[in-house]
This record gives sequence, C-alpha cells and structure tokens, in this order.
Amino acid sequence: MRSLYSDRRTWLHAVPAGAKLLAIAALGTAFFMIDRPSWLAPGASVVAIAFVSLGRSVRPALRLVVSITVASALVAGFHMVVGQAGIGLVSVLRLMSASLLGVMLAVTTRFDELLDVFETLLRPFERLGFPTGRLALGLGLMLRFTEHFFVQWRRMDDAHRARTGKPGGMALLAPLTVRMLLTARRVADALAARLGG
Amino acid sequence: MTSAAPSRSLSLVALFAALLAVFGLIPKIDLPFGVPITIQTLGVMLAGCLLAPRQAFQALLLFLVAVAFGLPLLSGGRGGLGVFVAPSGGFLVGMLFSAVATSWVMRALPGVGPLRLAARAFAASVVGGILVEYAFGIAGLVALAKLTPWQATVASLAFVPGDLIKCALCAMVVHTVARSVPDWRFGGRTAT
Repeated sequence: MRSLYSDRRTWLHAVPAGAKLLAIAALGTAFFMIDRPSWLAPGASVVAIAFVSLGRSVRPALRLVVSITVASALVAGFHMVVGQAGIGLVSVLRLMSASLLGVMLAVTTRFDELLDVFETLLRPFERLGFPTGRLALGLGLMLRFTEHFFVQWRRMDDAHRARTGKPGGMALLAPLTVRMLLTARRVADALAARLGG
Repeated sequence: MTSAAPSRSLSLVALFAALLAVFGLIPKIDLPFGVPITIQTLGVMLAGCLLAPRQAFQALLLFLVAVAFGLPLLSGGRGGLGVFVAPSGGFLVGMLFSAVATSWVMRALPGVGPLRLAARAFAASVVGGILVEYAFGIAGLVALAKLTPWQATVASLAFVPGDLIKCALCAMVVHTVARSVPDWRFGGRTAT
C-alpha cells in the first residue's frame, strides 16, 4: 500500500512529529477563530509558500490536494450562487490552509513517529486502565490485513472475470465479508493462544 | 472495563478496520443500472450490523486514527489530518457514531433467521448510516463550509438515494453472512 509519506527529505522532515502536531493544532485553531479575510489571506499564503517549499516531496499527495481544491471550489461556487462571496472566500481560505497543513504533516512524518506521539499522549490514560499497548497491535493487525483482504478481493475478482467475463463488483461483497469474519475468528484464536484471554 | 476475551475482540476490531480500508481501495462499483458508488460507507453499516456497539466504535476509531496518521485509506486515496477539516469532515467523524447507532438498532430489533436479520440490518443501516451519518455530515458542512443548515441539507440530499442502495446491499450481505456463519452474533447480541 502506498503511503502519503515521502522519502525525499525536506526541512520539515527534521522537525519532531510532536512539534508538528502542536503547530497544526495551534494554527488550525487560529484559522478557525479568525474570520477577517485580510488576516486569513496572508496566513493562507504563508501555508501555501511552506507547502511549495517542500518541492517534489509533495508528489504522493498531489491527488489529495486536487480533491481538496475541487471541494473548496464547490463551496466557493455555492456561496457565490447564493450571493455570499465574502463568507465563501473566508471558508475556502480556511479549508485550504487547514487541509494543506494536514497534507504537509502526512508527507513529512512517518507513521511510527506519529504513533509514538500518540502513545505518549495516551500514557496518562494507561493508569486509568485504557490498554494503550493494544492500539499499536490493533493498527499493525489492521495494516497487515488490509493488504491481505485486498489481495483476496483481487483474486476473487479475477476468478469472477474468468467465469463470467464481467468484473465481480458487488457480487463479491458478501463472500469477502464472510471470509473476513472467518479470518477474524482464526486470528482471534491465534492471538488468544499467544496473549492469553 | 475489559471484556471476557479482549484479544478476541481486538482481532475482530482490527480486521473490521482492515475491511473498511479495503472497501476504500476497491474501485467504484457499477450498479446494474450503471450508477457507480463507492462502498466505504457500506463498511460502516456492516461494522454496525455485525459487531457490538463498543467494537464497532473501536473499529471505526482505529480506522480513522490510521487515516489521520496519513494513510491514504479513504476512497480515492485520501488521508491525513487535512481530510477531517475538509468540507466533508463531519461525515468522517459521523462514521464513528453512525456505526454505534447502527449496532444499537441492530441489537434492539427482534427477529432471527436470515430474512429477519436482513430486515433488521436494513432498518439499522437506515437509522445509523443515513440519519445519524447525515446529522453529523450536515453539522460539519455548517461548521466547516459555512453553509446554512438548509443549504447543507439540500446539498447532502443528493447522496441519499445512493446510500439507500447501500442499506439494501448491507441487508444482502447480512443475509449471506447469516446463512454462511449461522452462529454469528449480530450487533453483539448474545441471546438469540
């Protein structure tokens, strides 16, 4: 599975994940509290310049940026049609800058760095009995089986094409789900044998 | 607050989160009359119908955490924190509560046997997958895209027919599961 993370190192790769998350939280909140275009526009420009400064590293996320831009354009168009261009401008500036911040984080931060930050943040809850160690295990299982089920789906789709000459489509949903449930039971047995309970 | 078999529950939760991700990777499916739909929200309805409310919530939470961490698991290869503040962010957060509501309704309704279960699944996914999901989605459009509630509702209504079809698909899948895995506990209900 291709992640949005880019191996091409940029200045933002060197910033610790925790600091980036903190910056996103602070800037994101600021963008949503300000509603004057005269303040938002320079802020959005700074975010856009920072985004462009990452250069070719943002390539894996370009499709995502395009889809965000299209969504923003739709919002802007909607507001123009009902004669509230001002509000439209404000919300598009907000949406674009907040989304670009999120994309920048995804492009420059490895999954396990974010997981570390997340587990550190959750540590206080561990004392209250929240099983934080299971989060990492759960994410690992999920990623492993996403690939597994996707391969299964492709095989079923191929088999369906070979038999009928048509793509499987929704005829495969139920068999895929049933396989997933049976696999879940097998994995549960394996986990229970290793972890107990 | 640990259940009797936490590692069993964990495996179900993680594998369901994986199924949700796969539903996002599967390209758009063409319905017989030529309308393409993405099936990720179908995964949310299925999680509600097949899991207990708590597990359904955890499966969606796990999935959304992975999305927030930047994995491109949403349909169309979207991911990262940015998608939560995009205009449709409310629909994403709504998935959590949509799955829980679906599971509650699934658990509360009477009836066993494949056909009855399918009917329960249809009703549950209409309540959870449409009513609850759209409530959050519309609230998100109002908050994030600054639409009025009326505009947001009208803009969202266009997707209701497609989601009704997904409710029907969900009922069909539940029907098949009920026949193939007869001892499955739908909605996490123990007594049948």
